[in-house]
This record gives sequence, structure tokens and C-alpha cells, in this order.
Amino acid sequence: MKRILLLLFLLPFINGTLIAEKGFPKNKIHNWSYPTANDPTAKEIIQKADEKMRGESNIATIKMTIIRPTWEREMTLKSWAKGTEYSLTLVTAPARDKGTAFLKREKEIWNWQPTIDRTIKMPPSMMMQSWMGSDFTNDDLVRESSIVTDYEHELLGTETLEDRNCYKIKMTPKPDAPVVWGEIIIWISKDEYLQLKSEFYDEDGYLVQTIYGKQVREMDGRVIPSVLEVVPADEEGHKTRLEYLSLDFNEPIQPSFFSIQNMKRVK
Amino acid sequence: MKRILLLMVLGMSLAPLQAQDEPRNWTVNGYLKNMQTLLFFNDAYPDLSQGKLVDTFFQDNLIHNRLNFRWYPDDNWTVRADLRTRVFYGSFVQASPGYGDQVDDVNNDYFDLSHVILNERAWVMHTMLDRLYLEYVNDKLEVRLGRQRINWGISTVWNPNDIFNAFAFTDFDYEERPGSDALRVKYYTGFASSVELAVSMFDDIDEATMAGLWRFNKWSYDFQVLAGYTRGDWALGGGWAGNLGDAGLKGEFTYFLPVQDSDDDPAFAATLGLDYSFSNSLYASLGYLYNSEGGIRNSITGLFAFELSARNLYPYRHALFAQATYPVTPLFNAGAAVIYSPVQVHALFVNPTLTYSIRANWDLDLIGQLAFDQEAEGYRSPLQAVFFRLKWSF
Repeated sequence: MKRILLLLFLLPFINGTLIAEKGFPKNKIHNWSYPTANDPTAKEIIQKADEKMRGESNIATIKMTIIRPTWEREMTLKSWAKGTEYSLTLVTAPARDKGTAFLKREKEIWNWQPTIDRTIKMPPSMMMQSWMGSDFTNDDLVRESSIVTDYEHELLGTETLEDRNCYKIKMTPKPDAPVVWGEIIIWISKDEYLQLKSEFYDEDGYLVQTIYGKQVREMDGRVIPSVLEVVPADEEGHKTRLEYLSLDFNEPIQPSFFSIQNMKRVK
Repeated sequence: MKRILLLMVLGMSLAPLQAQDEPRNWTVNGYLKNMQTLLFFNDAYPDLSQGKLVDTFFQDNLIHNRLNFRWYPDDNWTVRADLRTRVFYGSFVQASPGYGDQVDDVNNDYFDLSHVILNERAWVMHTMLDRLYLEYVNDKLEVRLGRQRINWGISTVWNPNDIFNAFAFTDFDYEERPGSDALRVKYYTGFASSVELAVSMFDDIDEATMAGLWRFNKWSYDFQVLAGYTRGDWALGGGWAGNLGDAGLKGEFTYFLPVQDSDDDPAFAATLGLDYSFSNSLYASLGYLYNSEGGIRNSITGLFAFELSARNLYPYRHALFAQATYPVTPLFNAGAAVIYSPVQVHALFVNPTLTYSIRANWDLDLIGQLAFDQEAEGYRSPLQAVFFRLKWSF
């Protein structure tokens, strides 16, 4: 469980990540069509979808559940984020880890251990660590800032997932991009620019994982998927679920909020 | 005794109330642990009746309860009290007549906030308040008065800057670590910078510690500088935490200069450490400690009984540390730490650890502590300990 904790500071950034709605089996996808001249460009779609989830800053309460064939673990968190630079994450449950907090400012990360009254500066390599048994990789979480700039985008067409008409876009990393994927296929709804599903392929073209967005609802004036599920391709019964219990966008937070003093004081 | 038990029961029964979402101005949390210990001495246990060192084996049990109380009367004030209660039972306790007093002795500072409730044959029950303080916070200012942990360490394993309350690496079962009876005033000057002054309670200046610490952040490094007086020495030290590429690079040192021309020599303790987290989640840490007060010929058995302070953090002059931990599954972690001292006796301390999360808030740990050194009869392991621990957090 320790490494789960170690990487919680990444959570505030997940908002902008690739999202999808209810596990859509492929045979349910229908109504496919070629892109038309009236459609916005693939890059514009990605940009809009990215902005939609992010906001200038956000404050979230999150429940995370790791699901395995024989067990489940739940954890609740509160997080504050500003842009992609600053975040503060506080563990509110389980009891064992309650009060533990993480502060990220640009490339620096600190961890607060309330039991020993100590702030620990963490090595940057923690950022590259795989995230809690690989349902989320860190790329899902931190590379998010670059889904606009680090990829070439190609509009493959439109498809309907359940009841939503979606753009289907192929994202191929630019040559120097710090990305581990070979390519990503992402479905974004036309109406609300919801990131409803994304498939991550490795460099050999094998599907590694799929991230689904679920339970689309309005949170703080924005219609968004309130649940994210990461499903690894080759691990039967493995899944990680993130549920936003609350989410406030654009509540102004000053950069000075993201301090070691506040890491110890937030409740 | 009854009152303590009542407090424990009360504390544990109050804890679940917090699960409700009502705003409250107090909290209680803590844990209950049960630990089995097997202790093996190989030609290392002093048998007084035979007047020599013998082989022997002890089996003990420790029930350990911790209750952390917090009260927030308003936004500026906090009152904190932590109660640590332990029940020891077993053959080592029975074989050590002064066990209760020893436990009591090492756990106090200026005020006597502990009590040996029971000390009979194989049983010892001990309780103490290891945190008891009042805190006042106003914007960037933080003032704490009472028994608190003044944690000035910045590096991973050894902390020469931890002049108020040094802790032993071998004492893994005391995560919270001891506190000091002190007054501390801290002012935050930036997101990772602060100035603090602290003074411990004392009657005799020889027992006092008073010092200042300045922390600042530059080039993505945290730096700190400390100066002050501690138990007969001027202390001057510093430390940093930063990175070398993607690895963490941390260091810390303190120079101790006796105030008077005493028999004591100046002392110097310095440590340097690197840590790295691989993409498969293997975490590795390497470190070195130079400890001018440490010996080169002393037996490793002293590791569990030497007089610990920031001036003397380890019984040997040199110590090399290596640690690796790996999450085999998200619930099961395996790790090992090794400390080797390249001195005459080639002291070696090996510390394997397995931890398993049975369910939320239930943890099971299996921990070993094996000590080796070079004695007249060759390279040997005089002392081995195995700990089996179950912990419930609430």
C-alpha cells in the first residue's frame, strides 16, 4: 500500500486525463462514419476536451477503489490543484494513513508524515514509478498536460458509444515526446466534449489498458464523467476506480497555498 | 490502572464516531498492536550465575496501544495528547529484573509523564504521554509548548541534526519516535522555508538543548542550517535534500564542540544518502554515516544498548547502509536493509521485512534483525531477533 501513497500527489492531475463511459463492448459500437469538413480538427477537439476537465484550479474529494479478483481496497482523498504545476493531496481514509499529505510544486515533491512530525523530500524518480500495481500508469496521470502538445492527432471518424455521438481520434506521440505509448485511440463525445473511452497501445501495437469514463453528471456547472475506471488489458478481474465525490472548478487558489506549512495544516 | 484502561476503552470507542461527517473540534485515533518476539543469543547472553556468556533463547509478547487526542478549540489553538501504553510479557522480561524501570527510564524527558503500572515476574505494563502540547498558530507563526517531537532531521536513515530527540534505527516499533519537553517558535518565510528556535526544559545547563534552525529552498533543493547548544556542546550543523538526476540526494552533518575544556573531544557526525525508485516500483536507498564517536572494536551486541544521541547515532565509526523494498503485490511488500561497518569487527546488521495488508486497517509484519561481527572465535551472529506483528489502526 505504501507505493499507492507515494504517488497520490499525482491524483489532482487526473482530471484532464482520458476518460470514457460505461464499458462499451466493441459490438455495441455502430453508426461509424468518415470525418467531414464541418468537423473541428482533431487537435481542436482534444484541446476542448482537455480544457473541459481542467479549470484554472480545482478542489476535489475522491474515492479510489482498487479492485482485484480476491480483494478490494478503498481510500479517500482530498486534493487541491492549480494548473499542472501545483497540487496538494491529503489522505482522509483509511485510518492508518489518515493525515498523510503530498505537496507538489513543479518538479519538487514533499511528503508529510503526521505520526513522526516529519516532512520528507521525495526523489524525482517517484514520478516515474508505476502506479499501484499498474492499473494507472504514471503516464496516465502526469502526461496529461501534454495530450495537446505531445501528440499528433488524427480524426479517424465518428462512432456512437451507447447513446453519445463521439469523435474517434488517433493520437501518435511526437518523436521526442516523453511518452511510453505507441498510440492512443480516444473517443470524445460531440455534445459535451467528454473523454469517454481511451485505449492505450504499446509500441508493438498491443492494447495495454483501457480507461473508461462513467456516470456523466454535472459537477460545479460542468457536465463530466464522475467516475474513471482503468482496466488493464491482460489482467482478468483487475480494475481501479476513481470516483469524484465532489469537484469544484475555478475556486481561486494562490500559489502560496501550496506550501509545506499548509501540507501539515489542511483538514 | 483502572483509569488508564478506562481512557483506552473510551478512546477506542470514540474513534469510530469520527467516521460521521459532522464538523467536530476534536479527534481521536490510534492503533492496537500485538507483537511476538523471538530473541536468540549465541554465546552472547550474560549469565550471572555462570559468570560467562551463554547461548539462550527468549520468547516475549507485547501488546501496544496508542491513542492520539487532538482538540481544536478554535482556528489558532490546538491541544494534543498522545498516550502510549504497552504490556510486555515473556521470558526476556522475566530474566531482566529491572525491565519496567528500564522501559520507564528511556522514555522520559524533563517531566515524568509515565508510569509503570505493573512490574511482576514476567509482566510489565507501562504507560506514558509521549506528546502533550499546546500549539498556537497565527498565519506564518507557529508556537508549541510541551512534549513534542522536534524533528530536525532531513536525511533518510541517520539524522545528526536531530539534536532534540534522536531515535534508534533498530527501534522500528516506535514509528512516532520520542518527544522532548520544549518550547518551539517557528516562522514560515516561504513555501519551503522557515526559521525556528527551540529550547528544551532543563534544571541543569548540562542537560539543556537550545538551538535555531533556518530552512530554505534554492535550486530545487531544500537546505537547512542549525546552530545552538546541546548538553555541554556547541552544535553547528546543516543538511540538504535534493536530487541528482532522478535520484534523491540527501545529506546532513553536525559538529559538536565542548563548551568547556572537558575531557570530551569535539565530535563530528555526517551522513550522505541516495535513493531511487525504479519504474517497476523497486525502491533502493544507499547511505553512509561517519560517526567520530563510534568505535571500531566493540561488539555488535552493543547495537541495542548504546547511549544514543545526535552526537552518537550508531556504535561504529563508519556505517554503510543499503536498503531495497519491493511491492510484490499492492498488499504485500518485501524489503531488506543492511548496515555494514568497515571496521575491525566488520559489524553487520541485517534487517529483512515482510509486510502484508490483511484488510483495510489491518497489517501483518514479519521482521528480522540479525547482528554479525568478527570476534576472537571468528565471524558469527551473536544476536538474532524475529518479530511478528499484527496491527489494527482506528
